[in-house]
Amino acid sequence: MADEGVASHYQVLEELGRGSFGVVYKAIEKRTGETVAIKHIDLESSEDDIQEIQQEISVLSTCASSYVTQYKASFLRGHKLWIVMEYLGGGHLKPGSFSEGHIAIICRELLFGLEYLHAEGKIHRDIKAANVLLSENGKVKLADFGVAAQLTHMKSQRNTFVGTPFWMAPEVIQQAGYDFKADIWSLGITAIELALGEPPHANTHPMKVLFQIPKNPPPRLEGKFSKEFKDFVFQCLVKDPDHRPTAKELLKHRFIRSAGKVEALQELVHRKQMSDARTDRVKLPVFYQETLHTISPKDNSDDWVFDTVKSVALPKRGTVRSRKPSSAFAVEDAMRKLDVKDGPLQPSTPGTVRRSTVRRQPSAAQQSSVRRISNGSPRASIAPKCPLQPDLSFGNSGSTMRLFRRVPSDSSASAGSHEAQPNENRPPTSFHAPVDPNSKEALLGRRLYNRALEPCLDELHAQTAASSKREALSRLSDAFALLDSVDPEGSYHFLRNLVSVVSQDPKLDVAFLRNNPQNSGPSKTPLDGTPQGTVVIKGRSATAAAAAASGGPVSPTKFVMSQENPHLLSHRRRHGSQTPDLPPPGQGRVERAMPRSPEKEQRDREKMALEAKLPGRQAVPGMEHCKALSDLLYTRWTDGLRARWGSMAA
Amino acid sequence: MAFLFGRARARTNTSDLPKQAREHVARLEGPPGTAKPEELARILSQMKQVLQGTHEADASPEQLLQLVTGIIEEDLLYLLAVNLHRLPFESRKDTQVIFSYVFRFRPPTASTKSEPLALAYVVEKRPQVLVELCRGYDHKESATPAGTVLREILKNEAAAAIILYDDGDEQGSSARGVAAINRDRPQSGNGVFWMFFNWIDKSSFEVAADAFTTFRELLTKHKDLVPKYLSVNFELFFEKYNNILVQSNSYVTKRQSIKLLGEILLDRSNYNVMTAYVDRGEHLKICMNLLRDDRKMVQYEGFHVFKVFVANPHKSVPVQKILLMNREKLLHFLSHFLEDRTDDEQFIDEREFLIKQIRNMPSTPVPPQR
Repeated sequence: MADEGVASHYQVLEELGRGSFGVVYKAIEKRTGETVAIKHIDLESSEDDIQEIQQEISVLSTCASSYVTQYKASFLRGHKLWIVMEYLGGGHLKPGSFSEGHIAIICRELLFGLEYLHAEGKIHRDIKAANVLLSENGKVKLADFGVAAQLTHMKSQRNTFVGTPFWMAPEVIQQAGYDFKADIWSLGITAIELALGEPPHANTHPMKVLFQIPKNPPPRLEGKFSKEFKDFVFQCLVKDPDHRPTAKELLKHRFIRSAGKVEALQELVHRKQMSDARTDRVKLPVFYQETLHTISPKDNSDDWVFDTVKSVALPKRGTVRSRKPSSAFAVEDAMRKLDVKDGPLQPSTPGTVRRSTVRRQPSAAQQSSVRRISNGSPRASIAPKCPLQPDLSFGNSGSTMRLFRRVPSDSSASAGSHEAQPNENRPPTSFHAPVDPNSKEALLGRRLYNRALEPCLDELHAQTAASSKREALSRLSDAFALLDSVDPEGSYHFLRNLVSVVSQDPKLDVAFLRNNPQNSGPSKTPLDGTPQGTVVIKGRSATAAAAAASGGPVSPTKFVMSQENPHLLSHRRRHGSQTPDLPPPGQGRVERAMPRSPEKEQRDREKMALEAKLPGRQAVPGMEHCKALSDLLYTRWTDGLRARWGSMAA
Repeated sequence: MAFLFGRARARTNTSDLPKQAREHVARLEGPPGTAKPEELARILSQMKQVLQGTHEADASPEQLLQLVTGIIEEDLLYLLAVNLHRLPFESRKDTQVIFSYVFRFRPPTASTKSEPLALAYVVEKRPQVLVELCRGYDHKESATPAGTVLREILKNEAAAAIILYDDGDEQGSSARGVAAINRDRPQSGNGVFWMFFNWIDKSSFEVAADAFTTFRELLTKHKDLVPKYLSVNFELFFEKYNNILVQSNSYVTKRQSIKLLGEILLDRSNYNVMTAYVDRGEHLKICMNLLRDDRKMVQYEGFHVFKVFVANPHKSVPVQKILLMNREKLLHFLSHFLEDRTDDEQFIDEREFLIKQIRNMPSTPVPPQR
């Protein structure tokens, strides 16, 4: 496939969003000057069958409709696949911020899109707000065809179990054969999502929802909405697909016919742009950096010996990789953490957790050979293991599957970062050597943020369903991001402060710090910690409890969702699609971003999270003698802190 | 759609469609300016709608029969296949639908077990249609529609045989229909099947990926046809496979073809092919070099071919020699091979198994007994 050179046709600019499937960049096609979005998929780290990615491309490339994100090209560059798409400046729909008038317009545009797809013999199978993009002038477009199906014959049906639980039609869940009508159901759920901010059952565990949707009567739209809107939702959510109207029929519905012009949606885009501009956060876009392969001399000594005849040496790509900034905008690796954009907890995607797209279930009709069963699919366990068959089940591991891949995309060894964490979080041995306290603390503070705070908040966020709680969490995360960028030393001292305050309160001490250096032997350190699961659940909704409970055995050091949990899967595709960031409103100063009332709770959570991420912190043997010193340093610092941050230290 | 359909029918009678389409397609090949792509697009779209029916109404079987026979008589399938890349975007998709319906159509009187009318005709009398569909991979525009049609037709064994045994004017080539095929004659390597290697290796990503999918279908679907074919054409096939596909510069081609190689070798029906393959020291060398590729997934796919050599209880002397010569290196290498795959139990088990096998090999090659 000789298209390595095509990449030079594009000038790649800043990052728009990222996920485990790759990074999406804004770019300019040099020949036309047109702005495009390019998704970089690292095939080397994607264990998915490449064929399935091809399937997405082939569905997209046969679409030509103004209601569908336009596919432009795709090509390989080394082991990265670049998919060039139309650039949509309005970003994702943000549920909950729409008036009924807006929803009517969006629904109409989506129906046009579905009408087109269905006439083409395509089923989207994952309709929801997160998969809808807005153009800069308010046009509504369907995106993310990761699980779309192409039917060869108009009347054929599918059985494959794919989609996102909350949005899935009953017939899809029951796997009794379904067709285009499944998209209509999902549209109805999406309408509710847009109106209320989240889909029905959002507080239920997704696995449980899979039982409820077929069993319960269809959800209704309740509340202060017009009769027409309610009826529209009612029509979409007819459980029997045969009695559910088609996209074409729904376009004649009164709610749709009375919808306004698309231009009205520009208002939403503008509002978003305004709020983007208002936030005075440090704006430091992450620019694309090209990975260069330099040919390194082959290490012959290590080669296989094949007789006297020298083996035909494979032209090897060197293992030395050097990074070269693609433009003058070289950003220090550490500096990229400054960008809030890089922080995953953007309120722009509040439904994230629940978006578990159970995808890539091979359809039985497709192939008779054993194929990989998708991770986290409810049927994952049925893949038979045949010795000496090519292992098609690779990638079921998932222990390395992160909701958000933090690693720069050019490292193909991006997996495994998670597992390494507990160790990496162990403070370096030189921890208390007061050589240069200032920079050391700043470094640690940054490390603390990158390694502990941020991942913790990621996970918490990912496990939280209710959008108000998510909002609060993401604000906290943003606040930390800001603190980290402005004063990493501050985050270091914050934690020290917190630890010592907590240790002074007997109850808190028991709850969080039972393995104090004074009274715990190093042997029982890692296992003796507070059971994290329950702590997380404390003071939180039953949702989290369910999530935690279903998460299987909760390890004491990491609060990781079970790999069976479809939540995790949701992110595989989700964040590959373009996500122009939506910074949260009002986060100029830390104090403002952290509301007083839930602060305590938040602190508790951070505390807990930090403990989780820093298992060795308190109990590394031999470190006890340093405590006095650090306490001293700490006191000195708190004095300074009080002066600067009266409200925080009070 | 009913309304479009109605209007179109008012202009052209169903029975006239193939004839008109033929005239318009022929003009595509003529001097520029004479073609009327809009007219052709309209005719093709109408033809598609008659064939697939609409949500409201289906065409009568008689009407369909008339249309399909008309298409065959006008040799439209061949013309469309040749000119697929010249058609406009929507017409290419329409043509794809037309092909897939025509090739599935059975007259109302025929039994459901019989071969569809047009497919039988093409396989027996007009194999060039299938060859031209394959040549759709010459152009980016026609690759996807042609590939989609091909993969559907290739489920039919006779159709797959046509493509495998196409060999120009040679004796026993499929060019004279499926009945003329001589399965014992080695292929010259000039037939359409052998062009797949270049399409997969040289084309742009989209074309190459589609061609590979078809190639895989061709080699994995038919458990009688393919083993025989691979045995007769063993040298030519694996020479091309190893040199073009496995050594491809394209990451995707390389990774997928190693994987497919593993699948072919481990397919029960290919037992004889597999034993012949793993007897060759040359093949083992290629495979061992894959283990050292600097891309993990290439190493991983290579492992699944390598294990066949090692697990083979009747290792040939050359294979034993290579393994013994590298025994210590292999043992060391394998014990650290893809270490981060900690939760892939099957892989870990197999790796352990291979280490044990290599360790327990007698220190001098023993001629295999079977």
